[in-house]
Amino acid sequence: MVKFLKQNKAVIVLQGRYAGRKAVIVRTFDDGTRDRPYGHCLVAGISKYPSKVIRKDSAKKTAKKSRVKAFVKLVNYQHIMPTRYTLDVDLKDVVSLDVLQSKDKKVTALKEAKKRLEERFKTGKNRWFFTKLRF
Amino acid sequence: MVVSKKTKKTHESINNRLALVMKSGKFTLGYKTVLRSLRSSKGKLIIISNNCPPLRKSEIEYYAMLAKIGVHHYNGNNVDLGTACGKYFRVSCLSITDPGDSDIIKTLQPDH
Repeated sequence: MVKFLKQNKAVIVLQGRYAGRKAVIVRTFDDGTRDRPYGHCLVAGISKYPSKVIRKDSAKKTAKKSRVKAFVKLVNYQHIMPTRYTLDVDLKDVVSLDVLQSKDKKVTALKEAKKRLEERFKTGKNRWFFTKLRF
Repeated sequence: MVVSKKTKKTHESINNRLALVMKSGKFTLGYKTVLRSLRSSKGKLIIISNNCPPLRKSEIEYYAMLAKIGVHHYNGNNVDLGTACGKYFRVSCLSITDPGDSDIIKTLQPDH
């Protein structure tokens, strides 16, 4: 009865190049569009996870290890697995539909998404989201 | 292992209610459409047969947990569930979107 495929929901991408990666729903298109006549959503996810940071790492090493590579994609609902987790990172203004139209818009959007995800990782919250799914 | 002792009477009444849903209500049969009804929150009750593969069963239960939709584990395999629906094929999982005249949802999910 409750719609759960909403903004800020953490999902796992199941198909495609990013299969097994965790992502967060930025925008949903429940009834599809003309080009995609099925339910789909715009997700922003982690393409390269940050590696394990240990206590004896120097500041330089910590900075290097906490780097995140992001991706933005339109996925069919059938190709994502929703989870019970949410990630409230504000990516609405950064990631939008027109980002996917041109390469340089995408590059700037990914840089900004990477920055926001990295600062969320550094606070230590949402630890589940930034750990690699083992399968 | 709690095995709910399903007496013959309650089992038959579930079959009767299912038959009434088939006649008067709206439903979808099959894994793909069940997930679709769960994603859009159109389903009101999900029924899973007992020989549904455990990974698929857990997946449907997880979706139903997120959508707060009830799941009923049917006391019978997919052949029996297909017969209960009046179909000549096997039905491993089905989703009831509109119960029609039947009170299957009230009897199987008393808290709703």
